[in-house]
Amino acid sequence: MNIKNTKNFYGLLLSLIALSLTACTTTEIDEFRQGATHISSEERIVILGRRQNNNYETEGSFVQCVANTVSSGQDGIEVMAEQEFLDAMFPFFEPRTAPMRTSHLQELMTLEVAAQKIEEFGIEYIIWLDGFTERSEGGGSMSCVIGPGGGGCFGFGTWTDDSNFEAEVWDLDTLESVGSISTDSNGQSYMPAIVIPIPLIARVEANACNGLGNQLKQFIKGS
Amino acid sequence: MTKSMQQHSSLSTKLGLTLLFCLLGACTASTITISGSFPSPLVRKLPLTVGVYYPDELKNYSFIEFDDNTGKDQYIIQSGTSQVELFNTLLPALFQNVVMLDSLDNVQSNTSLDAVFVPAIEEFQLGLPAKTRLNVYEIWVKYNMRLSNANGEYIADWVMTAYGKAPEETFQSVDSGVQDAATVAMRDLAASFTIGFSGIPEVNEWLKDNDYITE
Repeated sequence: MNIKNTKNFYGLLLSLIALSLTACTTTEIDEFRQGATHISSEERIVILGRRQNNNYETEGSFVQCVANTVSSGQDGIEVMAEQEFLDAMFPFFEPRTAPMRTSHLQELMTLEVAAQKIEEFGIEYIIWLDGFTERSEGGGSMSCVIGPGGGGCFGFGTWTDDSNFEAEVWDLDTLESVGSISTDSNGQSYMPAIVIPIPLIARVEANACNGLGNQLKQFIKGS
Repeated sequence: MTKSMQQHSSLSTKLGLTLLFCLLGACTASTITISGSFPSPLVRKLPLTVGVYYPDELKNYSFIEFDDNTGKDQYIIQSGTSQVELFNTLLPALFQNVVMLDSLDNVQSNTSLDAVFVPAIEEFQLGLPAKTRLNVYEIWVKYNMRLSNANGEYIADWVMTAYGKAPEETFQSVDSGVQDAATVAMRDLAASFTIGFSGIPEVNEWLKDNDYITE
């Protein structure tokens, strides 16, 4: 075996080890349908994060992740960018002014300027994402030392991540809620350290995003 | 040790101490200049010609956040330029015509004006994660809005508050966190102002009395 092949082999081996060293995650998805849904190829949706809560706000990165999942693949649905929608509909979807219920949406749609803009964008559904990821139950201890001859860590750390998100789907034709999808994803991450810390991260939020995004896609397509 | 070596050593020590003080953050307060663009509100314009005057206090507004331990300036938040930019975007979308005024001295001679609007900042508060122990940057601003007719007679004088928060992110600078929170706060003000302007009781009465609105 020449040097180049040996390097490739170890690189592949390390990649495989890194891939296999992810901690387990459990994801539960619940769907509640109140009405029929359908979307044509000319229509699109917008996914917005709820940001009116005092103690948390739905992360923009999570909203973007769900939007990417919904719009990806051959069966993807076109999703309007959140910021583009918020700017175009300003000031009606800001944290303090956004419609909280469909009755507020019905009120908003009586304004000609707002209704015209929605029509212009070809938006069929608004999806409200609300939730957050909480880190808890941290444990273990780790100490690291550094000296003239080098350094290293020794110990063990662990923590739990719990993601809870809900997506509510509003139909802009009927101005009613057509259903909701909720996801509860949790997993424990580990960080053993024998000289080098080896993080075994549970991809909790990423799993919640993928699960929710794919379920939303199916929900909107009516399948 | 020779004289030149002693001089060299003394210079190195001074340089080292200066660098150490700088590294310890004892040099100056950080200045954060708020910048950002704001969307134009999606509303029907009111049929008004409004003169707008920005007092120097608003144009040059800056807030100083003090260090709790040393009592010295820690952050200087300069938001005057962005405040003016915000009103410059907001007001032309809300009123048919906007006339910028350099002073309030000769307003009465301008007969084309229906009203004169003067915004001001009364209070500014900053919440830093390092101080509040919350993982968000927060900004709260209290504004005073004054609307008078061209003769200088009072129409309305009201207070508006704006609040903005931005989650703290890994490896994010204080500058970026404060910028994000300030942008949200200023959008909050613009949203409340746009939606609530005609609803201010004194403003509403004046608009109806002068047939600018019907209800």
